[in-house]
Amino acid sequence: MIDMNELVDIEKSTQSKRVFWDQEIYDQELERIFGRCWLFLSHESQLKNKGDFITTKMGEDSVIVVRHTDGSLKAFINSCTHRGNSVCTADSGNTRSFVCNYHGWVYGTDGALVDVPLKEKCYHDEIDMTTMSLPSIRVESYRGFVFGCFDDNAPNLVDFLGDWGWYLDTWMVGAGEGAELIGPPLKSILKCNWKVPAENFVGDGYHVGWTHASALEMLGGELGGLAGNRANMPFDELGIQVTTRHGHGFGVIDHAGVGIHEKRDGFAKFLQETQPKVAEKLGQPRAELYDGHWNCTTFPNCSFLYGTNIFKVWHPRGPHEIEVWSWVIVHKDMDDATKKEIVKQAVRSFGTAGTLESDDGDNMVNSTRNNRGPHTRKNTMDSRMGAGYEGPHPEYPGIVGSSFIGETSYRGFYRFYQEIMSAESWDEIRAKDSQWDDCFTNKDYWKDRLAAKAQGGEE
Amino acid sequence: MHNTEAKERVSMQLHYDLSQHYYQEASLLQDGEYEAWFETMVAKDIHYWMPVVERRYAKDKRPAPTPDDMAIYNDDYDEMKQRVGRLATGAVWMEDPMSSVRYLITNIQAFHTAKEDEFVVLSNFATIRHRGQLERSEHVGGRQDLVRRVGGGFQLARRKVTLDARVTEDKNLYIFF
Repeated sequence: MIDMNELVDIEKSTQSKRVFWDQEIYDQELERIFGRCWLFLSHESQLKNKGDFITTKMGEDSVIVVRHTDGSLKAFINSCTHRGNSVCTADSGNTRSFVCNYHGWVYGTDGALVDVPLKEKCYHDEIDMTTMSLPSIRVESYRGFVFGCFDDNAPNLVDFLGDWGWYLDTWMVGAGEGAELIGPPLKSILKCNWKVPAENFVGDGYHVGWTHASALEMLGGELGGLAGNRANMPFDELGIQVTTRHGHGFGVIDHAGVGIHEKRDGFAKFLQETQPKVAEKLGQPRAELYDGHWNCTTFPNCSFLYGTNIFKVWHPRGPHEIEVWSWVIVHKDMDDATKKEIVKQAVRSFGTAGTLESDDGDNMVNSTRNNRGPHTRKNTMDSRMGAGYEGPHPEYPGIVGSSFIGETSYRGFYRFYQEIMSAESWDEIRAKDSQWDDCFTNKDYWKDRLAAKAQGGEE
Repeated sequence: MHNTEAKERVSMQLHYDLSQHYYQEASLLQDGEYEAWFETMVAKDIHYWMPVVERRYAKDKRPAPTPDDMAIYNDDYDEMKQRVGRLATGAVWMEDPMSSVRYLITNIQAFHTAKEDEFVVLSNFATIRHRGQLERSEHVGGRQDLVRRVGGGFQLARRKVTLDARVTEDKNLYIFF
């Protein structure tokens, strides 16, 4: 059995390098994380009509998501219950049924087996088709974002997201008609462990200035000052970082929402016009985050940048490789010209050929590959930045870190990683719901800081 | 904008001149002479486009992608200039030491268009990148160009690059095709 206390040291904020390499750890992740968490599947905007389908993956499992004839969304494993062949080989489309290429078995859009060739003559009519449906997967949507879960005992999606949903609502609800994703997804291979980009998006404001120095120098704008870490900036005043129950987390760089877009007039105007609506609907704390640049991961493998507006899933392919799928986030009520420009700009920065994306890949590959060495793997990785400079906040749920550059969300991500990898079931995880944030010990951080600030203001 | 109608095939001499131009272009790109390539061989009205092509069933009647849809590259002149400029900042850490990129350009077919000085040129490519000790990636596809005669040479006015792979097997695409 894998000793998770050995792999993740909460007190020291370190993780064993084995978590990026070992096959046995990966196998357990497929069971305990990808087999039990809600995983992003699609957006309802891509499944509008009855019969619309997409194929995707949940961990290493191939799945189909489809709008059934009754209007509901269904998901099932893309493997014929006869001999296991795929029943759908297209990326997307519209269909009344899924037909296996091997022997011609036919399934409906609810996954039920509806036809078996030569059933009367060769099965002598003795096959009970009702027991041969494609294995179904729980499907739930949050604000149009569709997730699937293999575990019947898992909390529902809203509870899995928890306080993270409160933050997501900022742009999913606050700004108008809601958000949608533009596809088809870009797809590429990256030879890294799936957690490397997941942790990077959950809380790595630190790498931005250095890794992306070349791109930021060319693009200039709000984030241009970060290039090469040359600017002397009061980082504790420029944004926050948050981790919530179940390992979700994000960082916000204040007022930098459109920072990476070269052509941004439409988006900037939209943010400006809708910010008062966010304040009205959801209150000032969220309105203040709304025009920031967000880096985020929904545990375990769904990451996005709001502002840059790229939305990604890291599909694992063994411990040392992932498939990167990327869509673009737009708001439904933006005009078409603005939507198109956002798509273009998001892909130019974080698509397959993105000017910023290309900086990250190499770091992620090497951070994984170096662990091939057994003596390298005996060491640990460090995520202590900002430890102690974080805590509960009067206005923002979760644990809030002092700056967008810090590793609060790394610590939250690996705290939950350790918990879910150790837990026998969701019941064990639920039992700890009230104590999950005990490891963030400075409970008065924000109380003290805000009091000092108020006092400073009075003086 | 990429649907310029191709008419009859060009003469042997013109085909030779265009082929030489394509080989010169490949030389500049594989030598990392991005600025020289961009300044001499790319027209100001360039549209440089690599659409995303989904795997769809034959019966699927949805239209092929347009430049309004999701694309891997979808650049005008200024946007391309930024890509070139980024590579010249000296801060692209991963390209030091540099990759070796080799371009194999084949199956060149050139056609006249309604305009005397513009040609539609089709070609196939394989780009092979070696990096570090053992890293190797390969991209295979086709290009549909609109090439314009300018002075004694040619400039690229449209390029539609079709990658054959649905999933790009590389950590990034910062190179030009």
